[in-house]
Amino acid sequence: MSTYVLMKILESAPSRYDRGIRWLTLGGLDRAYERLTTYIKTGQKVLDVGCGTGALTILVAKKGAKVKGIDINPQMLEIAGERVKKMSLQKQVKLEEKGVAELESEKEESYDAVVSGLCFSELSEDELSFALKEINRILKPGGLILVADEVKPEAGLKRYLNWILRLPLAIVTWIVTQTTTRAVRGLPDKIREAGFEIRSTRYNRMHSFLELVGQKPGGKN
Amino acid sequence: MGWIQYILINVVETCLRMLPIPIRTGLIVLGNPGRNSPVILTCNFHLTVARVKWALRGIDAYLLVANSRGINVWCAATGGLFTNHDVISVLKTSGVEDLVDHRQVILPQLAATGIERKYVRKKTGWIVQWGPVDIKDLPAYLPRRKKTPAMRQVSFPAEQRFEMAVAWAFPISLVAGLILLPLWREGILPAVLLTWGLALIIFMAFPLYQRWLNPRSERIGFVLFDFGRGGVQLILLAGILLGLFAVAKYTGNFSGLFFARWGIMSTLVVLVLSLDLMGSTPLYKSGLHADRFLKVSLDTDKCKGAAFCEQVCPRNCYDVDHHRHLATQPRAHLCVQCGACIVQCPFDALYFESPDGATIAPEIIRKFKLNLMGKRLVKTVGRG
Repeated sequence: MSTYVLMKILESAPSRYDRGIRWLTLGGLDRAYERLTTYIKTGQKVLDVGCGTGALTILVAKKGAKVKGIDINPQMLEIAGERVKKMSLQKQVKLEEKGVAELESEKEESYDAVVSGLCFSELSEDELSFALKEINRILKPGGLILVADEVKPEAGLKRYLNWILRLPLAIVTWIVTQTTTRAVRGLPDKIREAGFEIRSTRYNRMHSFLELVGQKPGGKN
Repeated sequence: MGWIQYILINVVETCLRMLPIPIRTGLIVLGNPGRNSPVILTCNFHLTVARVKWALRGIDAYLLVANSRGINVWCAATGGLFTNHDVISVLKTSGVEDLVDHRQVILPQLAATGIERKYVRKKTGWIVQWGPVDIKDLPAYLPRRKKTPAMRQVSFPAEQRFEMAVAWAFPISLVAGLILLPLWREGILPAVLLTWGLALIIFMAFPLYQRWLNPRSERIGFVLFDFGRGGVQLILLAGILLGLFAVAKYTGNFSGLFFARWGIMSTLVVLVLSLDLMGSTPLYKSGLHADRFLKVSLDTDKCKGAAFCEQVCPRNCYDVDHHRHLATQPRAHLCVQCGACIVQCPFDALYFESPDGATIAPEIIRKFKLNLMGKRLVKTVGRG
């Protein structure tokens, strides 16, 4: 899934973002989101961290949950808003321009689940550990953290292979948009360190994309 | 950081100036700061951070590096890549709040196009102070936190013109060299010299022809680019051809092929260099951005003369009449349409007006930034 670096090109043109992502990942991202959202139940309160144009937010809402989507990019939120309106999900979805550093304004133990797709790879180490700590705080005991993101393969050979596959795309992306994504290193460990129990992980063949289900200890299972 | 390292960083990164070079965001401790030491925030463009550190040698301070995607402050802030959220994020997640007793953070003034003072304060309690435009003025600014009008203004002195000449010449000559490598190896050195020579002439001579540049020109076409009606290029090209003629006469290389080669090559180099000449200076909006036609208008009913505009304008367009509590724009013709004054005005008294009379309200300017091609997602809307 080295194609995720190209996502940056699309991000600079938010109106083309969704179509492009679908095309680039050959539907892989959609399937990952579908699998993760099977954990969401009707009536739950869910936070989507880094919701972008709202692909994951909408899937969660369709499961009957109440979702708040936050993102720092107002142009993406604008598009997310239009999509939510088009699907008549306004009653269930709330969108807010807000970064992970502003999660302090969310109430303690107020969410049943926190979902996040392709957002953690945009954060610095400081931001990621801050975000995970905050997510742990705002989740109810037993609440779930559902993550789909680009990660650094741990095994040596795959790491090199991935690096080589990624390089040309990264260069093109860098030239066109002058930014790139940073795959997260050791994401499951970081999530564990923030106080979650890992329920399941699922990698792609290259070990460069991770779907993870974590749980805040406590509550009734 | 020693002299040699600092010079090396400047040389290499000036050559690669067009590319973003990100560095790790977060907190950098300078010297031996205490609980009342200044907190200074900058972008995560490697060259900028190196220069800030260099300027602050011997000063005890906390330096916060916020995520601007490896791009310089002005471009990133105006292009929506250096935002309120990036500033809030580094304030909250870097741990600086545990290290100092005060809540004042000094931001580069040029970040005012993207960072809202009011918003940062509301979300974090930190008070943004607009530091000087030029990093070199930081030590003079720090003790009293007062800026002279010169510290608020962008300028394009010889050293910056040289920097931009190098920033263009290096990538162009690199590409030219790579193209010529399989085709005409002996031509590489002269082509590289030609590129560097032309780049240096065009940028160093900027003040000489600056008055003929027309930032309002509609004719940003394929050939004419930024030089208004193309006069300057033609004169330059004529000069080059005369030079070629002289060289050919002198060396006895006089032939049609010689002229064709060098004539075409110099034309190409001049065209690439003039592609966004105005945008390569801090004195004009990019010639490729439609925003250059916009005018900043003042709603005198809303203005209370609070002088936020005066504090952030990098062209010193404003004077504030403190008797009438009103801002005036005596130097409006210098405006570079950066939008900083509009973003910062606490009374929404300023807005953009396009030549056809449509207006862009402050909330749109704050929210929707220009992308690389100078477009906003949201179109101009009438004032209602």
